[in-house]
Amino acid sequence: MQLSDKLKKQSIGWLLISSLIIILLLIPNINILLNLFTDTSENWQHIKKYLLMDYIKNSLILIISTGLLTALIGTLLAWLIAAYEFPGRAFLSWALLLPLAIPPYIGAYTYAGLFSYTGPFQVLLRKRFGLVVNQQYFDFMTMRGAIFIYTIFLFPYVYLLAKSFLAKQSASLVEISCLLGKSATSIFFKVILPVSRGIIVAGASLVMLEVLNDYGVVKYFGIPTFSTAIFKTWFGMGDLTSAVRLAAIAMGVIFILLYLEKLLRGGRQYSYSTSQIRPLKRKKLTGGSKYFATMFSFSIFGLGFIIPVGQLLYWSYLSDGSKWGNLLEYSTGSILTGLLAATLVIIAAIIVANTVRINSGILSNLFARITMLGYSIPGAVIAVGILVFLLQVDQFISWLMQPFAIEINMFLTTSLVMLFFAYLIRFLGIGFNAVNSGYQKIGTKFFEASRTLGKSVTATFFKVDLPMIKPAVLSGFLLVFIEVMKELPLTLILRPFNFNTLATRAFEYAADEMIYRAADLSLILIFCCTIAILLVNQLRKGREDASEN
Amino acid sequence: MKINNLSFKYEKNGDQILNNFQLEVNKQETICFVGPSGSGKSTVLRLIAGLEVPLSGEIFIAGRTVVNDQVFIPPEKRKVGMVFQDYALFPHLNVAENISFGLGKISKIDKSRKVNEMLDLINLNGFANRYPHQLSGGQQQRIALARTLAPNPRLLLLDEPFSNLDESLRDEIRKELKNIIKQIGITTILVSHDQADADFMADRKIFIYS
Repeated sequence: MQLSDKLKKQSIGWLLISSLIIILLLIPNINILLNLFTDTSENWQHIKKYLLMDYIKNSLILIISTGLLTALIGTLLAWLIAAYEFPGRAFLSWALLLPLAIPPYIGAYTYAGLFSYTGPFQVLLRKRFGLVVNQQYFDFMTMRGAIFIYTIFLFPYVYLLAKSFLAKQSASLVEISCLLGKSATSIFFKVILPVSRGIIVAGASLVMLEVLNDYGVVKYFGIPTFSTAIFKTWFGMGDLTSAVRLAAIAMGVIFILLYLEKLLRGGRQYSYSTSQIRPLKRKKLTGGSKYFATMFSFSIFGLGFIIPVGQLLYWSYLSDGSKWGNLLEYSTGSILTGLLAATLVIIAAIIVANTVRINSGILSNLFARITMLGYSIPGAVIAVGILVFLLQVDQFISWLMQPFAIEINMFLTTSLVMLFFAYLIRFLGIGFNAVNSGYQKIGTKFFEASRTLGKSVTATFFKVDLPMIKPAVLSGFLLVFIEVMKELPLTLILRPFNFNTLATRAFEYAADEMIYRAADLSLILIFCCTIAILLVNQLRKGREDASEN
Repeated sequence: MKINNLSFKYEKNGDQILNNFQLEVNKQETICFVGPSGSGKSTVLRLIAGLEVPLSGEIFIAGRTVVNDQVFIPPEKRKVGMVFQDYALFPHLNVAENISFGLGKISKIDKSRKVNEMLDLINLNGFANRYPHQLSGGQQQRIALARTLAPNPRLLLLDEPFSNLDESLRDEIRKELKNIIKQIGITTILVSHDQADADFMADRKIFIYS
């Protein structure tokens, strides 16, 4: 069938707008790749000779160790929660998501503070027990510390995916293994791990992308990685070409990573194979194992949520309160930015998802893939791409306006447009995945029924599709909101002068060793994200209940 | 309704489902496609409704070309009514809203008059405010029929209308459906894998083999 024939079938407007969104998304990335062919600067020779290997080595150590550890902890917790009954299980089932509410850099400075020489932990040891410890073992600001921080605050990505997969998919497998006389441990290692390999790898690679994206933790701990290097070459040396080159190398690393992911998944797609999904029946734990399960899960929750929040509350108490005016200003600014960005992203996501659904075929597949591009690439890299692109557009605009004697200089690059553009690129994939899963759940029959009843694609969208995918749209919106609230590198680079979010301000205070003042801001940020996570969880539960009927 | 040389290929696996398919249906006639699953009988319905685009061939409905090499009338403009195999009632709308969905821009009074008229036709008065999930399979099917007939389509397509119903209900529902079709005198094409359905319902049977 020819393209023109395909277009006959559908409304062309959706396709046009989607194509525009996709092109906007591609330009900054292509820009980076093109810049690879420009001449290098002196700085670059220096970076290549003395620093590049360190960046690559550090980044790799961080992503690989964190990937493995989160895979282990996430899967173990998911299996405990999905397959066993023990005291506190119901609470932990959602509580274990909450570490996601704490941006890793906030976690980093709370833990660093907690274990520092003047921190509560060492003070307690000195005053109470008269112990003076070797600082070497209590220095949190190391590679090990960073791996700990990433693991404890990012494992919920694996946990969440693995939990819902195991709860829905493994029932018959587990029952059969039991009938065949396998023990619990051997079921876990011989059945559960192999079947859920795909989903675990998917979760762990999300974690690894987050680690590669992160700027706050490594900057605070002083570990040179790609993110920090891009910042340094750009702000420190003012060398855009070298920053772009670093960005391009980081992109290369990511493509290798994504390729490995595909390889590791073994081409096996995790799918709800039949419509008859039988939930896994949980086994009651008894005796020692019961308390072990509770203690293990609770201690992870404690490390990932209670301890950092407790420390922040303590600091907030010590700081004698911040100025309410400032707090209010940063909070409303942050929340408004989050809501606005999430709205923008989710609208774009809905448009692309609807187009992808109506037009099956190569083009749709491609679109779906490209939406994930932004999420795969570190914020610092995207920021470079966008800045380079918008600088060109700005130059073009002022050239265009010259004949009219109107002077418009740096209109885009000094406005919030740039930042929102960046959020769109980075988070479109998250919105798209949420909306798309909603579409997949309802299928095409309602759409087709509405068409035969005389409604156009667009009328059908508003009357049938949108009301039916509302829960999916809402959870996509909330997920993007959480990410924008936590976002650091993009915002730091692309924000207009004097524009601050809770995240940037908290990070600046912490970096300036004014940790007490960062506490209130961090707590508000964590509070907002916690609420959003609980709402998403509620929506997910609602949808699962509905689909079981 | 007339079909000339219709061919169709599925984009996904490239299987040719139809090859130079021919058909003519007279006004007020009821015909039934009979054949095993996968033979492409539902595909013909989808092509007539405009939900698929043919590889080549022409379809005319009531003297108008709806698809050929140059023309493609989208499904919403064909005035072809289709009852889906699993009914596809909109779960977020109640019975009255489902039935009036395809009525276009008419006054509220006309709308509710039409809804009542349709509920009379299918013998489900008093169900207007129920939601689809509160109805039995047979009731859902009748509502789906009412929803399809409400905008006065020129052609009625029924995709496996009895496959989702209990054996015990089947006879009764077949009778009822036939009565309704004859009562409004609409040209009808239905698809079934069951000979008995076809014998009972259709003026003419078309066998389709893969």
